[in-house]
Amino acid sequence: MVTQTVESGAAGHGAEPRGKRTEAGEATYLIAIAEALWEEMERDERVFLLGEDIGAYGGAFKVTEGFIDRFGPERVMDTPIAEETIVGLAIGSAMEGFRPVAEFQYADFMSSGFDEITTVLARYHYRSGVPLPVVLRGPSGGGVRASSFHSINPEPWFAHAGGIKVICPAFPSDAKGLLKSAIRDDNPCMFLEHKWIYRRIKEVVPEDPDFLVPIGRAEVRRIGTDVTIVTYGAMVHRALDAAADLAQKGVSVEVVDLRTIHPMDTEAVLESVAKTSRALVVYESYRFLGVGAEVAAVIAEEAFEHLDAPVMRLAPPNVPVPFSPALEDAFLPDVADIEEAVQKLSAW
Amino acid sequence: MATEVSKERYLAEAVEELASLTPDHLREVLYKLKLCRYFDERMEALYRQGRLPGAIYSGRGQEGTHVGVAYALRSDDSLFPTHRDLSAQLTKGLDLNRVMAQFWGRIDGYTRGRDGNSHIGDWKGNRTFAVISHLPIAYPVACGAALAYKRRGEPRVAMAICGDGATSNGRWHEALNVSAIHRLPVVWVVNNNQYAYSTPNELEFAVPSIALRAAAYGMPGVRVDGANVLEVYAAARDAVERARGGDPSLIESVSLRWRGHAGHDPAKYVPRELLEDHVQNKDPVKRFEELLKAHDVIDDDGIKAIQERVGREFDQGYEYAQSSPFPVGSDVTKGLFVEDGYWTGEPSREGGTQS
Repeated sequence: MVTQTVESGAAGHGAEPRGKRTEAGEATYLIAIAEALWEEMERDERVFLLGEDIGAYGGAFKVTEGFIDRFGPERVMDTPIAEETIVGLAIGSAMEGFRPVAEFQYADFMSSGFDEITTVLARYHYRSGVPLPVVLRGPSGGGVRASSFHSINPEPWFAHAGGIKVICPAFPSDAKGLLKSAIRDDNPCMFLEHKWIYRRIKEVVPEDPDFLVPIGRAEVRRIGTDVTIVTYGAMVHRALDAAADLAQKGVSVEVVDLRTIHPMDTEAVLESVAKTSRALVVYESYRFLGVGAEVAAVIAEEAFEHLDAPVMRLAPPNVPVPFSPALEDAFLPDVADIEEAVQKLSAW
Repeated sequence: MATEVSKERYLAEAVEELASLTPDHLREVLYKLKLCRYFDERMEALYRQGRLPGAIYSGRGQEGTHVGVAYALRSDDSLFPTHRDLSAQLTKGLDLNRVMAQFWGRIDGYTRGRDGNSHIGDWKGNRTFAVISHLPIAYPVACGAALAYKRRGEPRVAMAICGDGATSNGRWHEALNVSAIHRLPVVWVVNNNQYAYSTPNELEFAVPSIALRAAAYGMPGVRVDGANVLEVYAAARDAVERARGGDPSLIESVSLRWRGHAGHDPAKYVPRELLEDHVQNKDPVKRFEELLKAHDVIDDDGIKAIQERVGREFDQGYEYAQSSPFPVGSDVTKGLFVEDGYWTGEPSREGGTQS
């Protein structure tokens, strides 16, 4: 995995994030996220942001740069380093009618607010009927040499908590449309941005302020007939690269981008597997007891008669994300790994 | 570590506070105290007889704290209690029938059987947070409610209660700190009943009092005698008024947990002399009753009438709970997310009354 792009501080100043698009109207994933936040804050004054260094500084990755000038310090609220209380502030204000969006500087630090997230946020509506329209967002994922404490993929932890929708977009348009949906959703949503994608992937993103992408719906990114790759987040881009290579070698790969981990669009997965009869799950969270285990189990239970080969998983080992490029490259699935797995499945 | 207040001094000092409440209010406070005490005793008896499923967390001996702080709140103020603080929720206005239905896991309980015993709350009605065992998990959430009141310029207050044990947890300190930084309208209450399960105060903190810690966060802290409901009420009333003006404060109310952590715990770690001293000399219900009698706010007939009312209400609640149906098993997955409409619609009442 080669990574050369600067990871933070490159967005530049300005008021409306839309102004940061390219001349061709393309937005990076990061700018698309900023546009979603901005538009929803303009649309609904109950929406406010809170988190560490999000005000004058504009956030560790500069997602909220310029926001405080437009919306003021009450709606772009800087907090101390107190993650349990950041989540508590979000929950309590949501109980009283606000729609908070809490930023974590890195998704890794969500574990510092774990109890409020999994014990209060995930369970409160089931127990009490009180809706909690809370969004927790933060940069997740590896591949940027950020090592163990700035590279986590926490989606399985929180998907397993039950009452939280967990969203992992791979493209700028999805990031924008899904974040807007999350902010408008009356349930708790965790929005996991992939920091490797932030400034690497850009595309023309819809400008309609009511452009929404539905939560819980997968998207077929590449149509194919031989093997299905089920994936999400940064791994979508590896899978697409692998699929393009494999097409040259005569293997037709279908790439299903889950987009949301919980609730999971199992119908889309099953539909694709019914067509291809072979499935590989590629994901960046741990292989052990992970998203891929769930996808493989669903396929085994619901589509066994369609399978011509065992469902395979390609995911990192259950060890901390290592720093050294040699180790991190060995840790993360790459394009060659995916191609090898697909070839193995094809030959079954 | 409890504040030492003699009965004579209590009777004398309480006079000033007596004047701040009307006789009707004072009799209402006595009714609340007696309701909470009676409920606590009867529920424990049912638990010991094997007639009550699940667990109980007695708040006996701490009614002065619970009734005193909750009585200072208005109906639109919010309360964030713990499992120990059912008496505060009853004071805030929870319906005894529905509370009893909650204990028996019935559909008419406030959580529709999704939770039991004092893990209860009535946010939509009485503005109380549904209790969570992890402590003090509601402290940060109270900050959020208070932030909402501040943002909208509403003269409302969030009050959170936890025990002495929960003050050792990082969230307690986070929440106090954030409330002071952002000037949030919160009243922080610590029900210091001297034991965190079996762990005594001296193994919980090394400062002379919990109230002292308030200074570290830039807010006032007071220590009051939990046996004196009027002293607690006066402190809570002042703290609530201060919060309406935009500033948090801390109240440490000292009493003793008369019973174990939960129904199974005989609490043999509490020295017998300490317990006897509290039961004999620092009973918040008995003290208040004596005070009102001494000042002719109520007579023996009036006290008898309250006791009869409390007994009647308990019996009615018990019958209500037994005749309320269980939730139906097929609803177990409903209401996780709002989309299925489980919580905005009426639940099935087809579950029957036999488990």
